[in-house]
Parts: sequence; C-alpha cells; structure tokens
Amino acid sequence: MAESDSRSAGSIDVGNRYDPLEALGILAGALFWGWLLFRWLNDWFGGLFVPQSQPFLSPSLFEFFPALAFAVEFAPALASGVWLTVLLTIVGIALGFPIAIVLAGARVYGRATRWVALGYIELVRGTPLLAQLFVLYYGLGLSSFIRELPGVGTVGVIPEQAVWIAMIGFTINSAAYQAEYLRGAIESVDPGQLQAARAIGLSQVDGIRYVVLPQALRYAIPGWTNELVYLIKYSSLAAFITVPELFNRASSIASENFRYLALFSLAGLFYLALVLTATNLMSRLEDRVAIPGLGTSEGR
Amino acid sequence: MSDPLLSVRDLRKSFGEEEVLRGIDFEMDRQDVQVLMGPSGSGKSTLLRCVNRLSEPDDGTITVDGEDTAAMDDDDLRREVGMVFQTFNLFAHLTARKNVSLGLRRVRGFAKSEAEDRAGEELERVGLADQADSYPAELSGGQQQRVGIARALAMDPKLLLFDEPTSALDPELIGEVLAVMRELADGGMTMLVVTHEMGFAREAATDLLFLDEGRILERGPPTQLFESPEHERTATFLRRLTDLEAGQHG
Repeated sequence: MAESDSRSAGSIDVGNRYDPLEALGILAGALFWGWLLFRWLNDWFGGLFVPQSQPFLSPSLFEFFPALAFAVEFAPALASGVWLTVLLTIVGIALGFPIAIVLAGARVYGRATRWVALGYIELVRGTPLLAQLFVLYYGLGLSSFIRELPGVGTVGVIPEQAVWIAMIGFTINSAAYQAEYLRGAIESVDPGQLQAARAIGLSQVDGIRYVVLPQALRYAIPGWTNELVYLIKYSSLAAFITVPELFNRASSIASENFRYLALFSLAGLFYLALVLTATNLMSRLEDRVAIPGLGTSEGR
Repeated sequence: MSDPLLSVRDLRKSFGEEEVLRGIDFEMDRQDVQVLMGPSGSGKSTLLRCVNRLSEPDDGTITVDGEDTAAMDDDDLRREVGMVFQTFNLFAHLTARKNVSLGLRRVRGFAKSEAEDRAGEELERVGLADQADSYPAELSGGQQQRVGIARALAMDPKLLLFDEPTSALDPELIGEVLAVMRELADGGMTMLVVTHEMGFAREAATDLLFLDEGRILERGPPTQLFESPEHERTATFLRRLTDLEAGQHG
C-alpha cells in the first residue's frame, strides 16, 4: 500500500502551492481579457460606455509617459481587430478539428480514403495560406455568393463576407495541419490497445473511438498548442483579403499617422498576450486531462 | 457425448513465404485446460490468434460450440472467445474498473452502473477489489495481468485464450497470476494456454500440446509428455525447460 502511494504521488502534480509569479500572470491575464471584453461590448453596442474606438481614459492623463499615452490612445482601435483575430483562430481550430479527426482516421486506417486524405493534406500544406485565401476570395465566386446571403455584414455582429471567407480558409488549412499532428499521435498509441479492444468484441470504429482516440488526443495536445500559436499569427494573412483584424488595423492606422514602429510594436504586444494565453490554457488542459503513466516515457 | 467446444481442422497460415501453421488439428471439450508449448517461432501465438480471428487463417476450419468461426461475425466470436495478452494491453487511459466495464457497456449493452458493479465483482474475483480505481501505470505487472484476466472474464466467454500470460512478468509476480489461472481452471473455465510454466502445465492442464515447426508434434496428458515423450525433440525441449526452472527456483 505504501509503495503504491509513493508511486501515484509522484505522477501528478496537484499544484496546490502558491506561486507568486503564476498569480501575477493570472492577474495580468484577467486585466487584459477584462479590458478586451469591455472594449468589445462597448463597440458592439454602438458605444455603450464611450464612443467606439475611443479610450476609456483620456491619453492626456499619461503624458508623463509618452509610450503609455500612445498605447492608451490606439489600443481601443486595435481591440476590435483583436476580436477578429481571436474569432478566426478559434473558428479555424474548432471547425478544423472534427475534419482533422476524419482525415487522420482515414490516413491511418483507411484504404482508398487514405489517398484522398493524403491528397488533401499535401495540397493544403504544400501551398501558401495566402494563396489559398486569394483563391477563395477572388477565384471561386464565393465572395459574391456569401455577400448575397441574408444578414451578412449588415445585421448586428454578423461579420462581412471577407471574414466568412477567412474562416473557411483557416478551417480548411488548419484541418490539414491538425490532421498531421493527430496522425502522429494516433500512430504513437500502442497497436496492442486496438487489438485488445477488438479482442473483447468492440468494432474497429468503437475501438478507435473509446480506446485509441482518448489516448491519441492527449498525445496531440502539444502539437495542438503549436497549431494554435501558429494560427493566431497566421490569421494576420486575412488582412490581405480586407479583413480588419489586428494586423490590418495596425497597418491602416499607421498609414494615416506614419507611426509604423509604435503601432506594430503595440500589435506585437497583443499577439504576444494572445499566444501566452493560448499556451497557458493548453498547458492547463494538459494537466487537467493527464492520466498517470500516459504520455510519459515509462507509459509509452 | 456433446460436440467439442473448440474444433480446429487442418488450420494453415502463412506470413509471406513463411508457412507458420502447417495443418493443425485438435479439439477441446468444455472445461478442458490445454497447454501449448513449443520453441519460439513454432506458431503458438499465431494459432491462438487464428482461434479468435485476430489473424485470418489461410485454410482450415475452426468451430466454436459447433459454429464455424469463418461464418461468424468477428465481434460475436470475440464475445465468446476471450483473450489475455502477453503484454497485458490494458487500456492505458482507463482505471482498472473502466478497463473491465468498457466491453460490458459497449459490447454487451449494460447500463453504466450495472457495468461498473459487474466490473467490481470481476476485479474481486482476481483479488483486486481495492485497486479498482487505479490506472494501469499505477499497478504492478502482475496486477495488470490480473485486470487483463478480469476484463476477459467480464464478457462471459466460453473459451479463454492465454498468450504467454506470465512471460513479461518479473519472476516474483508470476505466482499471483498463475494462482488466478489455476482457480479459473478449477472453476471449470475452458482454457487454451500458451505458456512455458511447467508447474501450471503439470497441475492444471488436462492436455499438453507440443508444437514444432507449425505442426502438433505430440500431445497427451502432461505426465505422459513429461515422463515418456515419444519424440526426441519434445524430450529435449521439456528437459531444457525443466533445467531452466530448476535453475531459477533452486
């Protein structure tokens, strides 16, 4: 009994101890996201607290520190771009995920479908994302089709057609990358696992669903984090099909006041905050779903 | 006399050029415990895997309880023929209890609470009631293998296949697994066991089959094969095992 206690104690860090650095990080995160949320609410409801894209506090209060005053003045305009950056990233990851599961399943277990999945994945990974967005935006008549749909760009928070096309593009693109991360994860699950599932009478599909995938998805979290981090930054390519996301906003404001360095530095800080949030959440997820011995060297 | 529970007729299996099984014939009655022995590469594991069709035979007929397994749905067959693996193959993301209850829920259609209760009973049967909520990595090899046995038992199989169930275990953990297997044998479970555990073969086996180069070279009650084997190869092999065991335990 004592032996098994010591074994399990070492395998999961319950993390109850107080870590001042972590607390500071959580505080900074809460302030950043709280502020963002207020900005978005303010701008969506036509200036709930202050006029759209106007700071809550006057930049003149911060004149003693010009860089801060600059940030206070232009951060609100960038915040609306951050919304689209976050939206594109989350939609790309979330909608790409189920497609990736099907693609990865086909890659590992399929016969004819293996080649279809491989073709899709290599086509998407082998061509530039920007080119894919251009084809979707200019090449397929998709723009005019979406523009005709009721409500697009005119009703409330329903975004304009370029955003829809970017969401489609990122979904298609992210599905291919996620499929490859997942395929690697599926292949690192011991084949004996599926065999044991089959041996108690589970069908191939149920064996994959209840035995292989729950393990593979855990193995895939680090790769998935990587994809999320890339996507946050790649979403800036949507700027080139006119989506007013973070990069686009910074660039268009800078073209008016020529403060390129300052604006792109500020935008860079926003990207950094998004990426840190993403990696932090993903590592929490990883801890949350960790199972003793699974995914560690001894368990594999 | 009723029909045999398992009947294997002229079973053949090749992997590429290599013919691993070259015409295997044998039968098992209910409550038989047959032990398969033979040098590595003689086809023991392949034979087991053909019985539950984890490997597809090239030729020959296998019937379980009178039914031709080639005509059966694989999943139905595997409900009737359980398997215990050399490397345990416990579902690594599930607790011992969930390892046992998964098949009950997804294959036999038990409700969740019903399945978990039944899983608890099976774990108790292999002496692991207190480890029901441990994950495989938290269990010793011997405990893992006992969960593996409980998982197979939960499906109420008519026949249990054991593929070298103790050969991946540290010597001091072998005993607990063999004890569970002996109890099953005493309880009337029909078992086809690939093992080189001489003690188990002597005490629990109704018959011993000696496999060599894809054929059953010799068969009979264990005392007969141990004491007066017909073939020189059988004699040499069993003598080596006996010497090895004496060396280990002496």
